[in-house]
Amino acid sequence: MKKKIRLIVNGEEKVLTIDVQQTLLEVLREDLGLTGTKKGCNQGECGACTVLLEGKPVSSCSLLAVKADGKAVTTIEGLAKGGQLHPIQQAFNEKGAIQCGFCSPGMILVTKSLLEQNPNPTTAEIKEAIAGNICRCTGYVQIIEAIRSLVP
Amino acid sequence: MTDYNFIGKRIPRVDGLAKATGKATYTVDVKLPGMLYGKILRSPYPHARLLKIDTTAAQQLPGVRAVITGEDVRQVRYAFVDTPRYPADEQPLAVDKVRYIGDEVAAVAAESEAIAEKALSLIKVEYEILPPVFHPEEAMQEGAPVIHDEQFEGTSFWEEWGVTEQKKAVKQNSAVNNLSGHTLISFGDIEQAFRESDYCREDRFELKATAHCQMEPHAAVASYDPLAGKLHVWLSTMGIFLKRYFLSRALNMPASKIRVHHTFVGGAFGGKIDLFPYEFCAAYLSMKTGRPVKIELDREEVFMTTRQRHPIIVKIKTGVKKDGTILAQDIKVIADNGGYRGSGPVVIFLCHGFSFPVYNVPNYRYEGFSIYTNNGIRGPQRGHGAPQIRFAIDSQLDLIARDLGLDLLEIMRKNVRKKGDVLPNGDQLNSCGLTECLLGAAEAINWQKKRKQFRTMENAGRYRRGVGISLCSMFSGAMYYPFASAAVVKLHDDGSATLFTGAQDIGQGSYTTLSQILAEELGIGIEDVHVVAGDTELCPIDLGSFLSCTALVTGNAVKKAAADAKRQLLESAAELLGVEDLTRLKAQQKTIFLEDNPEKTLSFSQAIQASVLKRNGNPIIGHGSYKGYPRAERYPSLAKGKGLFTGAYGFAAQAAEVEVDTFTGKVKLLKVVTFHDCGYPLNKTIVEGQIHGCTSMGAGQALSEEVYLEKGQLFNPSFLSYRLPISLDTPESIEGIVATIEPSGPFGAKEVGEGCVAGILGAIANAVHDAVGVRIYSLPITPEKVLRALGRI
Repeated sequence: MKKKIRLIVNGEEKVLTIDVQQTLLEVLREDLGLTGTKKGCNQGECGACTVLLEGKPVSSCSLLAVKADGKAVTTIEGLAKGGQLHPIQQAFNEKGAIQCGFCSPGMILVTKSLLEQNPNPTTAEIKEAIAGNICRCTGYVQIIEAIRSLVP
Repeated sequence: MTDYNFIGKRIPRVDGLAKATGKATYTVDVKLPGMLYGKILRSPYPHARLLKIDTTAAQQLPGVRAVITGEDVRQVRYAFVDTPRYPADEQPLAVDKVRYIGDEVAAVAAESEAIAEKALSLIKVEYEILPPVFHPEEAMQEGAPVIHDEQFEGTSFWEEWGVTEQKKAVKQNSAVNNLSGHTLISFGDIEQAFRESDYCREDRFELKATAHCQMEPHAAVASYDPLAGKLHVWLSTMGIFLKRYFLSRALNMPASKIRVHHTFVGGAFGGKIDLFPYEFCAAYLSMKTGRPVKIELDREEVFMTTRQRHPIIVKIKTGVKKDGTILAQDIKVIADNGGYRGSGPVVIFLCHGFSFPVYNVPNYRYEGFSIYTNNGIRGPQRGHGAPQIRFAIDSQLDLIARDLGLDLLEIMRKNVRKKGDVLPNGDQLNSCGLTECLLGAAEAINWQKKRKQFRTMENAGRYRRGVGISLCSMFSGAMYYPFASAAVVKLHDDGSATLFTGAQDIGQGSYTTLSQILAEELGIGIEDVHVVAGDTELCPIDLGSFLSCTALVTGNAVKKAAADAKRQLLESAAELLGVEDLTRLKAQQKTIFLEDNPEKTLSFSQAIQASVLKRNGNPIIGHGSYKGYPRAERYPSLAKGKGLFTGAYGFAAQAAEVEVDTFTGKVKLLKVVTFHDCGYPLNKTIVEGQIHGCTSMGAGQALSEEVYLEKGQLFNPSFLSYRLPISLDTPESIEGIVATIEPSGPFGAKEVGEGCVAGILGAIANAVHDAVGVRIYSLPITPEKVLRALGRI
């Protein structure tokens, strides 16, 4: 069954006719070509598909796109503005928080949400915030350091 | 340390921004016009004979473009190991039998994934169920079900390269059933040495299968161009030239008719080397349909049907003198390689190869068996054998220290190899910082103080702490196909350079470290280096990113190519500056100047443009290459351990502090220390990143990770149930870089990406013993095992 939905993706309105079975991840990747959002497990366990829905992190693989109808979605493509990288992207790159890069989009978006809610998190709070995002390359050490470097 | 402009510096990754912005394209992101989607039908039985496959209904389903079975590819054989002794035993789709749950039976290409999925359900397969065997020690017994009873034929992988003298398959040791590989290595007089030992001890250790957990699932896109007869593939791989070679043999096509295109790789850790049936099927289906075909495995398939780390049983007998000097060691290793050989014969060789550089054991016998069972296939995983063997040896050494009332640190110190040592196979340790690593790690974990402190009554409550230590070593490249890495450096008339390298950045940062080598050698900035990599059509051959060869082997090739380009550049500049002696010229920051007259300068642009105009259009292209191991003639013998293994060993010492909850049995890792002798760090941030990744993976394997199989069925094919480390498990981490300057390495560099996955296992097991006084002989150290050892359940 098809349904028409309206998404505000990275500030831009998108009106799409989709199959109601499609997840938000599938719509972003397949219909909108936003492949920065990654499919790591498609089971809602790894966090690679994290996007911000109305500013809050969600696993887009476990959310039907129709549930996002009318809502604002931020993907990794929406972070850098006018060729200027977001400070989180800068910090991740400088501190070695990116290796293979497959978890990075989700990890960066979760960090954005964390710092908006709590600009001054402790290390324990940082670990808690990214606990739903798996990274196999870094052992999390340099990711935690990168986030700490953004705390004033 | 020498003052370099780029080497050793914390240069941010050159591919970091593409990855941070979501612009980096991985294989799973590749989408081509008219692309079909492929799916694979898999066996639900661990061991069965294929009687009949009926694909009629699937073929008739609208949207299905092709269905293939073993009948279509009867003659195709390939394998990770394909030598006269061990001929290829894998087929892309099962022909006569299925040998594990998940074995490939048929493949479909359709207009959508949903249609392909539906088509799979319409394929009817009749099986005759055969008795399975799951434990290697049972599989070895006489009378056990025979898993491979087919006749292997054909030439081997290596014969085309003229690197073998044996032309006929060697009959294997028939006393052992289901044998897929055998290694026997010995030196000294072991029986005599045991008689002369003051103390001997025999133990048995066991490690379970683990999963790589690359975040990017395995995927392949293939697009066949019938007019050119050319196959284009996008693969998530660690070695584009090895993969191309496997594919060319399997498809019976010339290698040059296959082009592997560059993609970013979302993690590999050893699990993306082998040629997989999904890759072959994508290519075959594309050739059959004339359309691009994509096959992406789901996470359950990745866990079940790609590769796992070998579960291994290690039996060791060690004889020592009263002071802890090791006199003799007798090691027996049994590796379960699952339904196909995978890297079985390699892992049993590497258990020896990655371990014997650590201690000087004068009398030694090593025997390894790799055994077929009806479990999933096992292949290389970071350290490939090192974690298993190092865990066993250093766990036992800790037990010996306790038995003799000696300090483990002192025993290790007494027995470690040193710079200048020549190993029994002829490999030379031209750099070896084992002692410095050991002392550095011991100090950082506060060994002496904590060992004493943790033996007091303060440490007798519910939560008890302990410290442990272990050592490890690793190759920096070796001789395997294509036996060398090459690089090309092309200069542009603006003074910048493009590096062409076949090496694939699998996340470890090779594009960055190779750029640093080029920039340093040539005298340009990092931002002046453009990298073209991972494309078999554009790039020269490369060993691939495994056996930790990239820093040393590819690094040397890049350094030589940059030096070659620089020589040509200086020759052009010398003419313009009227200088005859090239050694008077220096190049830095894209400027050439006279060392004795720094006022006299010339920009790179000027010299390059002059070269084009004056020297028959020579645009300056530098070439460089480096053999996997220059001293070695050929690959070493897996069966006998003869021949040279590697040009440089990386070493590490790792220590751990744990807290054990004696009520629940839960072990908490508080602190990990790694001191790694990487020769010289090309990039400190990247070296530390490799250490963190290794220790995290090793800690997972020590404490929680296990591919849990019951009668061949995988019970935990998902991240949450598999339980790999998450951010909350991150311990305090201390890293020390021991710079020994490897003479054969580029700027002194050697291995860092694999070795230190191995020491952390023994360090944790020894720390647990230190904390609660019991030995856990089997990994992972689960709460249940701890409570059992404590006698609480």
